[in-house]
Order: sequence, then structure tokens, then C-alpha cells
Amino acid sequence: MPTGGVAHSGLMTETQPTPQPAAPARRSLSPRARWAVPAVAAVAVGAAVMGPPLFASAGDDGLPPVTPEELVAKVVEKDAPALSGTVVYTARLGLPSIPFGPGGASADPVNLMSGSSTLRLWSDGEQRSRVALLGAASEYSVVHDGDEAWTYSSDDDEVVHYTVDPADAATLEKLATEGPAVKGDLPTPQDAAEQALAHAQELSTVSVDGQTTVAGRDAYQLVVTPKSTTTLVGRVVVAVDATEWTPLRVQVWSASDDTEPALEVGFTDVSFATPSDSVLTFSPPAGAQVREVVVPLPTEAEIAAAEQEHTDGALPQGVTVHGEGWDTVVELSGVDVTGALAGDPKALAELEEHEPTIGSDSAQALLEDFGGDPSDKADMGEIDPSALLDSIAKPVPGGRVVTSDLFSVLLTDDGRVLVGAVSPETLQGLA
Amino acid sequence: MSTTVLDPARVGQGSGDDTGPLAVRTEGLTKRFRGGQVAVDDLALRVPRGAVYGFLGPNGSGKTTTIRMLLGLVRPTAGAAWLLDAPVPEASASVLPRVGALVEGPAFHPYLSGRDNLARLEAADATADPRTADRRAAEALDRVGLGAAADKRYRQYSLGMKQRLGLAAALLRPRDLLVLDEPTNGLDPQGTREVRHLVRELADAGTTVLVSSHLLAEIEQVCTHVGIMRAGRMVLQGDRSVLVARGASRLRVTTTTGLAGTAARVLDTLGLDEVAVDGLQVDALLGDTAPERVSAALVAAGVDLVGFEVRHPSLEEIFVELTGEGFDVAR
Amino acid sequence: MSHADAAPTAAPSGVTTTSAAVATAAPPLRPVRGAFGRLLRSELRLVLGRRRNLVLLTGLGAVPLLLGLVVFFTRDTAMAGEGPGFIGRVTENGLFLVVASVFVCLPFLLPLTVGIASGDAIAGEASTGTLRYLLVTPVGRSRLLVVKAIGALAFVAAAVLAIAVVGLVAGALLFGLRDVVLLSGDTVPLAAGALRVAGIVAFVGLSMTGLVAVGLFFSTLTEVPVGAMAATVVVAIVSGVLDTLPALDAIRPGLLTHHWLDFAELLRISPDWGVVLGGLGVQAAWVAVFASLAWARFTTADVSS
Repeated sequence: MPTGGVAHSGLMTETQPTPQPAAPARRSLSPRARWAVPAVAAVAVGAAVMGPPLFASAGDDGLPPVTPEELVAKVVEKDAPALSGTVVYTARLGLPSIPFGPGGASADPVNLMSGSSTLRLWSDGEQRSRVALLGAASEYSVVHDGDEAWTYSSDDDEVVHYTVDPADAATLEKLATEGPAVKGDLPTPQDAAEQALAHAQELSTVSVDGQTTVAGRDAYQLVVTPKSTTTLVGRVVVAVDATEWTPLRVQVWSASDDTEPALEVGFTDVSFATPSDSVLTFSPPAGAQVREVVVPLPTEAEIAAAEQEHTDGALPQGVTVHGEGWDTVVELSGVDVTGALAGDPKALAELEEHEPTIGSDSAQALLEDFGGDPSDKADMGEIDPSALLDSIAKPVPGGRVVTSDLFSVLLTDDGRVLVGAVSPETLQGLA
Repeated sequence: MSTTVLDPARVGQGSGDDTGPLAVRTEGLTKRFRGGQVAVDDLALRVPRGAVYGFLGPNGSGKTTTIRMLLGLVRPTAGAAWLLDAPVPEASASVLPRVGALVEGPAFHPYLSGRDNLARLEAADATADPRTADRRAAEALDRVGLGAAADKRYRQYSLGMKQRLGLAAALLRPRDLLVLDEPTNGLDPQGTREVRHLVRELADAGTTVLVSSHLLAEIEQVCTHVGIMRAGRMVLQGDRSVLVARGASRLRVTTTTGLAGTAARVLDTLGLDEVAVDGLQVDALLGDTAPERVSAALVAAGVDLVGFEVRHPSLEEIFVELTGEGFDVAR
Repeated sequence: MSHADAAPTAAPSGVTTTSAAVATAAPPLRPVRGAFGRLLRSELRLVLGRRRNLVLLTGLGAVPLLLGLVVFFTRDTAMAGEGPGFIGRVTENGLFLVVASVFVCLPFLLPLTVGIASGDAIAGEASTGTLRYLLVTPVGRSRLLVVKAIGALAFVAAAVLAIAVVGLVAGALLFGLRDVVLLSGDTVPLAAGALRVAGIVAFVGLSMTGLVAVGLFFSTLTEVPVGAMAATVVVAIVSGVLDTLPALDAIRPGLLTHHWLDFAELLRISPDWGVVLGGLGVQAAWVAVFASLAWARFTTADVSS
């Protein structure tokens, strides 16, 4: 630094050292204020996301009290209403993850085994309905239209047309069911509730829990608790719409896990209006393969016999039923275990769907499924059946067992299959 | 506070206009970067209107950061700045159209021609008249000698042509103030002369020019005022002639045998700094002391004056003295 | 003299305003009408006229063409009808070539395009140094950011349209256009189907806006455009990966890419507009957060490039 020479009189002595920083003339937020804008945006977004559920869960005590008996009666008596809506089906069965290969996000009923699935439901409350399982870019639809039914899978562009033999049309009329039974049918809250409440009074304790909101609608909660202590099912909670008296949500809780329902099927969005005709009818697209299936209907005599069966316990050959109600165990004999698994994993989906009231009807369906339909083998892709078996069934003395939070399956080495909502040990005991 | 800052109130004495209007003014302008490094420290810049202000200092002394703050590119940590009496960056939108700038070299889209690059800047200027845009761009290109290469891609331009295009962009419309950061960078001597000529021409037309350089020689001939930065501080600022006059004039007294010591004592007594004896010669920094007073005192003390020499430093010498020699970048 | 009491906006040399006016008799500068439009047109010319971007658009346009040709020449082989998504349907109806092409480009090529368009927006100008000259022209930073965002969006729209138009033309020529079979197996007339496909193209285009905002924000953080581009593409890919993790169920619906495939909703028999709007709502949320981040960053950052 040179010294001297240049005048020393500093600037600071003559000019005020700190002029006002120029005040914001018009607009201009300070830098800090500017960074507050994204913060506010983030908070607003967060509020928009978190807000509605917070509000929805508040203040749901406005419904008049109802007794469990009244509620069950209302639900059972109430005719199915016309409605349309979106249903989310979630299974947390605690099954080992099943390597079904690619297409995890595609619309295949197999995917109902685990995780979450979205279905869309339209019904006129009578004999016409459509249920569609939605994949990311695919769809599996089941359309019931009077005495015929269709399934359509967008993945393989395959149509299956179920019809009733014309001779049986009169019987169908009399049965007044939803028409022909469809393989690979999809779960709805109504079906699940129907099954849960079927024998509710005899085998379970029924109570009314607090009120709740499902799909933005007020609902009562009906809790069905098995009287049995050996079943894996802890309780079934049915949320019933407070004005339409139709089930909006069914949760099946495992006895072993009280944090989340093991199985849940419920509306996320529902509207009680008759859907348009276009969704309740189906005509196969040009160029699609249509597989015709004629569903034989039982004659009146057979129906009578079937009703008799219910009480007598007479079953098709090879099927034995142990226990009753929640503890029912179905035993199938003479099954090629590996082949069955390879043949149709949908069988397990069926199982789970009918699980709470597994009975002779379910057993029949199960038998058909385990019998296997050769065409379904394509669904398995390149998966080695024995590897699959290894991955989900762990060996026990005398066979292999599949365990989940809600049901167990025992595959014995001598070719029997035992299925029930009980512990694997119970199954082993029965075997 | 640097001890060598000129009294800004006396800057411009040479032009006899002490309170003349300023084209650029800053008060306490400070920029501290996030790492804590202070690039500009408490700067009081004074650029009188109509001046050609040579903004000097070694690379890294804070010139470019100062210019960036003036143009609203960098936000000051403290202090305030005015361009053409308008506070910046608050009033940048209204004042910057009157300011042409070349900041740290030219920068254009390489895949566009010179003309298209100017058209882009023209389109960006909200206050420019689009009807005269093409004409003004052509004039600016001609003015910097790029008329013939206007439709070549910028990528194909030589360094000098790029620099000229940068100048053309600064001259797209009449400006009241030009801020030229190292305008002669990359130019050959001929180009440098042309730029000097251009600057003089613009100044003659009344435009204030703030021209920065790390080489005094490049701009010494054109500037009327200088400011010298070192390590973020203004170490010297003022009218060029005053600066030269007030530069650290040196005194060399040559005397006869045995009297050098006496002479040195006399100079000491007079309060001169850096008194040094070398044989028969005594050197000292004259500073503000009147030479005739020194010679009278020496004679009175009986010193034979064989030689009495007062040397005014050149701007170059002042510059080198203030900023340090060699290539070492400040800090 | 002292300036301490001078109003901050007043002339620093208080008494000299009049003499200053003599030297620089500048009329007050007012923005010319249509100034924003001029800058925007300049930006669009820059973005859509740039050779690199034209090459990219051409490449994207080639996707449906190649896809259509591959499907056309394998239609009678064992591979017919194979392939993900909608490729199997292309042979039945050329209109599905548009959907299949969009589907194929969605996971990587479109995010790449978005990355290039938005990552380059600010960082590209910063890296060439032209940003400082735009700002000293002057262009207000907010205004420049808006223009840059529109430029990036315009390029993304051009990319989606290039895929759609080439897909439509190639599909019509190779396979013909017919009534459209929906995912539910139902058939709707060609006009209604075409409208649905147009809706899909629009949905996919709008689904990119969130990523554009993210890219724009990255673009304000760096002077290296390639870095901003890569970061943007990585965000899309990471989001896609996170979307496959069941453990993240709670946040998955908010992920940037989660609703991209919801365009399929428009191919269902009775589209749930709640789903479509929900997907766009998530994009709007990403846009709100990241556009404001980009704005806060860009209007406060020191430009030292």
C-alpha cells in the first residue's frame, strides 16, 4: 500500500456512509419473501391433498341410532339399488409374493390375490350389471345382462359368452338370480356383505360400531364377530349406507392383526342412479374370439335336492366338509397338487373370495377350478409350477402348507387338499 | 477504509464542475459471495456524465462484479447504486434501455447469424420500436464493421468479430451510458485502435462511457476519468489530470559529498515520506509539499543543490504502484 | 455535499436534474405494445428453429412410423398381436397406432424431450452467456421465465403432436381407420373414437407439464444445461421406479408419473372424469410448487455466467 501522495480525506467523512438502500419502488418482493411463495404453494398442495380426508372423518355422529338386528334386517330386506361407482379391493393376506411374472398392473383376476385393485361397478339393481377390473392400460369386464353374461379381457381380446340353455330360461326366471355363474367373477361389497351376513346370527355376534364415512356417504358399521375362537377371522366389519341400506364397504380383519384389515373391498366413489344402457349391455367387438359356454341350470328337482344337500351335508364325490361355520374345512381328495397349482392360480383367488363362508357351493367351484381348464395354463406364462409351489407353500410333515392371515391350505403328499379359515395346525390335525 | 480514496467531492475539479451530474454513482456498494469472499467492499463509484471513465484494476479486483451489480445481474449485499439517477436494480426496467453494455466478453447463440442474434436482443427489448429494428441492427453492424459478415453464423466469427458484435449489440439504439467491460479483449492492435476511436466518437456525441480494463495502456488515451480497484476497494478515483497532478510526485535531490545526510534530515523535518539516501542522491516522496518550500529549506540548511528534480508519475506508474506489479491476481 | 437525505429514488446529485436533462434529454421509456408477443415469437423461433430440436422432433415422429412398419410386417407371423399395451390392437385399427406410439414414448422418450426442452431453457442461455445480455436488455426475470416456460411447453406440445400426427397418418395408411374397440370390449364409432384418441394425446401432453416445471427449476440452478436435462430425466425415471414400490403406497398417487397411464381412462366405456382430472390435478400441483420454486430461484439468483 503506498503511503502519502494521494489525499487522505476519506469519502466517509464527507458523504454519509450509509445511504438508504433504495426502497422497493413498486413491485419487487425481497428475496426471502420470494422464497415464501413456493413454500406457500407446497403448503396449499399439501392441504389440498390432506384436507378432504381430515374433514371427511370429522363429525360423523349425526345418524339416528340403530340396533344390530334392525340394521341386518334392513340390509337383507333392501333390494339391491341401481348404482354405479368405483370399488377398491385390497388384500393384505400376508402371502409370500407370488412371481406371476410381467403384467402385474394388468387387469387379471389373479392380481386380486395381493395388493390393491380397482374395480368399476354398474348395476341396475336387477339382472343387469357390469363389473370391470381396471389395469393400468387394460381391463377385465364381467357383464351380466339378463339370461346371458360376458367376460372380456382386453389383454388377449378374448370374449367368453355365457348363456343359459333356452330350455332352462324358465328356471332362471324362477331362480331370479343374477343369471349364469361366471368363472373369474369379481368381488363387490354387496357380494362380500351377503356372504358375511348369511349366517351371521347363528354363528357370530353382531354389533353396531361407530358411524363412518365411505365414499363421502354416511354409513353405519356392522361388526360381525365369529363365536368360534379357532378361526383365523377376527371380525368382519360391514359399512352400510345410512340412506340406501346397501353395503358400501366390507373389511375382514384377521384375528392376528389388528392394525389393518386383511381384506377390504369398498366403494371410493358411488352414485345411486341407474346407469345408462350402454354400460349394461355388451356386444363382442369385431374380430374378437368368442368362446361360447352354455351354463346348465339345475332342474327344479335338482334345486330341491341341492337345498336338501345343504341340510344333509351330502356332497359330490371326493369332497368332505369338516366343522361348520367359520371353522369349516373343505377337504378335496385325489388332486394332483402340482398340476392343480400350475393349472389355475385363480383357484386361490376364488378361495379367498368365498373364504368367510366357505361351504358346499364354494367347494363345488373350487373343485372345478382345481380340476383345471387347459386353456388357462397360458396365464402362467413361463413360470415353473414346482418353483411356484416352492415359493408359496412351505413343506410340513406329510405335505405342504400355504398360510395367510385369513386362511390356510394344506396340500398333502397323498393328494388331498384341505382349505379353511383356520390355522395350518388345525388342518394338519384333520388330515 | 482504504487510506487512498480520493475525496469524491473534489473529483471532477479538472472540469471545474464539482457538483456535476453523475451517470453512475454507488454508495457503500458491497458484494459478499456465499463463501464469505468479499468481491466488492464499500465501493463509492463516481462517473460524471459525459465522462469516459477508465475503470481499472487487475483481474479479480472486483470490476466485473461491480458492473454486474450496476446492471442488475448480481444483487448487492449492501449499499446502493444509481444509473442515470435511477436506483438500480429497482428501476432497471426503465433505465437499462438507455444503457448499452458489454459484460465479460460477447455472448451470442452460436448457431444464429450476427444479424439474427441482434434481432433476438431487439425482440427482447420491450421499449424498442420494432418498426426500426432492422434498420438499427444494420446500422449497428456497419458501425462496428460487421456489415459484410452479418449473415454468417456467430460460431464462424473470429474472436475480434465476436467482440465487434458485442459492441454492435450495445449500440443497437442510442444510449446515454455505455458500460464496456474489457472491450478490447481479443482484439488485435488495429481493432483496439478502432474501439478507442469508437469510444471517443460516442463520448463526443455526449454518451457517458464506463470502460473497464486490466490494462491501463488500452484506455489511457481515451479516458477523462479513472477509478482504480484493488482487492474489491477503490484505491484511487478522479479526474485524470488531477490524478496525475496529485499522484505521488517524487523528489530527487543531488548534493555534494557529505551533505546527503543533512539533506535527508531536512526532508524528514519537512514531513516527507520514504526518504532514502543513495550516495549523493536523496530520494523522497514529495506528496503535497510544495517543491519551492523544500528547496528553500535545503538551501537554508546549507545543502548545495547540484540537482533538484520533481518527477510526476505517469498514470501507468500510479496504476502499477496502486495495484501491484506483475501478473499476480489480487488475492 | 450530502446525499443522506435524498429520497432513494431521487437523483443522487439533487440539484442537477435539469442540467442532466440537457445532456441526456431522454423521453421516458415505455414498453411498446406487443412487446411480450415479440419476445415470445423470438423464443419460439429459437426453440422450434434450432437444428438439435428439429432432429429430436423428427426422431420422435419416426417412432410411430417404425412401430407401424414393424407391426405391419410381422402381422402374419407368430408375433402378431404380441407386445405391450396397445400394440396388439394396431393391426385392427390404425387409430391405435397413435395410442401405441404415445404409450411407447411415455416412459423415456417423452421425459427426455421434456428434459431437453425445459432443462435447456435457462441453463442453456446461461451457458452461452446470452442470459446476461437478455437481462441487461433488459428483460424482467419473471417475464423471461414465463417466456421460457411457454417455449419449453410449446416444444413438448410439438413433440407429442409429431408423434400423434405421424401415428395417425402411418396408422391410416398401413392399417386403415375403423370404429374403435374400447378396453371394455365395447365398440364406439370412428368419430367418437378419434375424439377419445385426441383426448389421450391432450392428456399425455398435459401430463408432461409437471416435469416441465421440475426441469425449469433445475434449469435455474445450474449453468450446465446437460446437467439440468439429465436431472430432469432422472426425476422421471426415479418417479417411475418409486411408483412400483408397494411400500410407498401412501405417496404413490402424488408421484409425478403415477397418473401418466391414466390416459387409458379415455378408452374405458364410461370414462371417470374424476380420474382424468385427478391426474391433471397432480400435474397442476407439481407445476404450482416447482414453477414457484423456479421463479423464486431465478428472480433472486446472481447471474454470474
